[in-house]
Amino acid sequence: MIRRAAVLVVVAGYALITLTVARGSLYDQSLVLTAACFGILAISLDMVAGMTGLYSLGHAGLFAVGAYATTLLNLHQNMGVFTTLPIVVIGTGGLGLIIGSLSLRVSGLYFAITTFIFTLVVGVLASDLSITGGLQGLPGPLFPNFPDSLTGLGSSVAWCIMLALALTIFLAWAIRRSALHPVLLAIRDAEPFAAAAGVRTAVVKIGLFGLSAALAGLAGWAFSFLGVVSPGQFSWNVSVSILVMVIIGGINTTVGPLIGAAFVSMFPAYVNFSALWQELLFGALFVVVIVFVPQGVAGLLAQLWRRLRPRAGAPAGITDDRPATSTAKAGWAGERVGGESPVAVECRGVTFSYLRPVNAVDGVDMVVRRGTIHGLIGPNGSGKSTLVNLIAGQHRPDAGTIRVNGADLAGAGPWARPRHGLARTFQTAVLVKELPARSNVAIGRYARVPHIAARAPVWPLLPSAHRDSRALAAQADAALALVGMGAWAGQRVAQVPHGVEQLTQLAAAAVSGSRVLVLDEPLAGLSQNEVDHVAAILRDLRDAGVTVIVIEHQVRFVFDVCDEVTVLSAGALVTSGPAAEVRENARVREVYLGQ
Amino acid sequence: MQIVLSGLATGAIYGLVAMAFAIAFYVTRVINFAQGQLLMVAVMVTAALSRAGWPTGVAIVAGLVAAVVFGALIYLLAVRPVLAFDRFSFAWLVSTLGVATILEAGAALIWGPTSRGFPTMLNGRPVHLLGAVISLQQVLAIAAGVVAVAAFELFRRRTLFGKLGMAIAADPEMASAIGANTQAVAVAAFALAGLLAGVAGVLVGPITFANPYIGSTFGINGFVALMIGGIERPAGAMAGGLLLGVLSQLANTEINSQASDWFPFVIVVVVLLLRPSGLFSGARWPRLRLARPS
Repeated sequence: MIRRAAVLVVVAGYALITLTVARGSLYDQSLVLTAACFGILAISLDMVAGMTGLYSLGHAGLFAVGAYATTLLNLHQNMGVFTTLPIVVIGTGGLGLIIGSLSLRVSGLYFAITTFIFTLVVGVLASDLSITGGLQGLPGPLFPNFPDSLTGLGSSVAWCIMLALALTIFLAWAIRRSALHPVLLAIRDAEPFAAAAGVRTAVVKIGLFGLSAALAGLAGWAFSFLGVVSPGQFSWNVSVSILVMVIIGGINTTVGPLIGAAFVSMFPAYVNFSALWQELLFGALFVVVIVFVPQGVAGLLAQLWRRLRPRAGAPAGITDDRPATSTAKAGWAGERVGGESPVAVECRGVTFSYLRPVNAVDGVDMVVRRGTIHGLIGPNGSGKSTLVNLIAGQHRPDAGTIRVNGADLAGAGPWARPRHGLARTFQTAVLVKELPARSNVAIGRYARVPHIAARAPVWPLLPSAHRDSRALAAQADAALALVGMGAWAGQRVAQVPHGVEQLTQLAAAAVSGSRVLVLDEPLAGLSQNEVDHVAAILRDLRDAGVTVIVIEHQVRFVFDVCDEVTVLSAGALVTSGPAAEVRENARVREVYLGQ
Repeated sequence: MQIVLSGLATGAIYGLVAMAFAIAFYVTRVINFAQGQLLMVAVMVTAALSRAGWPTGVAIVAGLVAAVVFGALIYLLAVRPVLAFDRFSFAWLVSTLGVATILEAGAALIWGPTSRGFPTMLNGRPVHLLGAVISLQQVLAIAAGVVAVAAFELFRRRTLFGKLGMAIAADPEMASAIGANTQAVAVAAFALAGLLAGVAGVLVGPITFANPYIGSTFGINGFVALMIGGIERPAGAMAGGLLLGVLSQLANTEINSQASDWFPFVIVVVVLLLRPSGLFSGARWPRLRLARPS
């Protein structure tokens, strides 16, 4: 009820502002509407730069494509402005998908460079082609007026552009509220973690850039009604200005890009300087802002708010509040994915080399029986982590097969693992620091919740999405409770101790519902108490029917906890079998235990 | 031959700017987008001092010094602080472009936005070479390009400072752990990049005259050359510059006189599609690693 009232108030307020603008003077209109177009651009850029760390310098180019396409289609094909809208939006979106898929295969820097060059190319085309009217540009299409009965509403262009802006704000807000948002931040800060949770990171990035590009095209469409369309309005400096708007306002915030767009685009109207002084001031502003307030206005306010708010005291440390009853422990079993065959993971003749001809893993056979804790040990450089990375899909083997729950996954990427019932943790937990532990754990369920990415732009409108959000939070809280971290669920990961971070990671893997967990040195940096705690958790997991593969250096822990142990040395298998037997093996004592 | 030689001369200028980009990137993993404006600073300072009656040689040296000083200042004021705040790994993109805007607008405010004279130097002295006629200034540009590559490679491989640069490029944290002063090397790299851009400016000044906006022109062309040659190796960047110069010259004569405006972009788009790491680089792009002030 309160929420509905709040929505109503916001919508009414926005409509009132729009009405004021639409009935205002032409000067005010052009000022506000230009700012609104840049608002759309800044929000669309923040979607990629803020949420996923993709610094696009192509937004001025996409903006130009939108504006020129609208103008030219109207001029030469006599298309109405509303007919051009879907063409422009889909066209620029498709352009974004193409640029994204070409450049994101390499790196983030390469993406920034490619998009930068795209803007340069569009600029050159716009000024050199005869169809675009050269440096003078072209007059934009006329926007149809309201019918007589609605003239009281004022300028129709104002309503149209403000509506486009509202749509953009809604999309960004919806994504921010969706279960995709933590996943996007994870792609930005902890890509391997996201991929291990089942996210096809490249596809999500490209798709998001496509959406962002489509919105930039929308901004161009809207902008073309404001007067002349000429190359000077879309130079590479504009790309940088949009980035600066995002940063001044506050990157990765809901209102920040809007504040930044309003400030940067209206600022020249309020200061009476010559063009050169204005430029100089702008350059100085870029540098000063990025050096002194990199978190932006909205970021500063959020920081202040966090400082002022009475803070609930942080939990004292790792408190063992794991539920004792077996019914609660059965929570681990959940709805498990993966077959029931007695073999959980089977490696046959797995060979991999980073640098030929040295094989980091050389023809290794390993069979992990279901329902066991399987230790993987060996001296440094013996190929343990490489083998685990092969099983988890970070690397692809040069030869050999890897079957997980019966499926041959040797050729599939890490994101395919959770669907086949395998989850992993990393030696050093890399999580999204700015999110609470709960949200980080929820990322682990990405593969289990259908169509998170596709539903994200309309998330708050879908009843199913609300259900999923609630379920995710509850499942994450339950998983954190099961690793004894229930008290930390609401704490931002930036503020938790190392041990909690490691256990959060473990909870994220466990919550995925996978029947096989691969843990790469889960004890790294933990105290003795915490080690015992982890041992108890692993036993709980096994008792719930989960198969655990664990790389570990602490021999006592391995022989204490593991049912079976595989020993590697110099990339080759030494032995594999029940823990007690392996312990007595002469070669193991020689190569590993040093006896 | 005429086309090749004048192409090489322009290309050497692009190559010098591209090398300047690459050297700064090599050590700090930062692309200094104000590189072209450093060229402009050298040109403008030289032109102004020469008009004020200073001997040409002294004016040129002063121009080069100005480019070096601004290069170092850019690192200290606009790059180092943003690398410290590592959440925005691309913050330098905004800060260096901001510096570019400041330098350009500043120069236009001080000296006016129009072109002014530049010492003639060796321009207008024709040389007959392999059946073609080019000016001595163009010969000088080609020679400077060759010397710059050779000197840089010698410096990189044979001096301790150069090796330190390589170490920092490979792993800044390890390099600082063994006692390398990563900050000093980074400042030196930016200053050296400023020097190269300045040299390029002095070489091209007699042909283009002094104009606050030549920085963008040569900055963008140098950047395109860098993308063609590959960002990882300064020598590759020079090769990219030479190739770009010759191809642009060819396009100008074979297509039309406007072609050099857009032709470089055609080349760079093709190169980026086929071989993203550049034509003259050995390997694929490494993962982005940033040097952080310790």
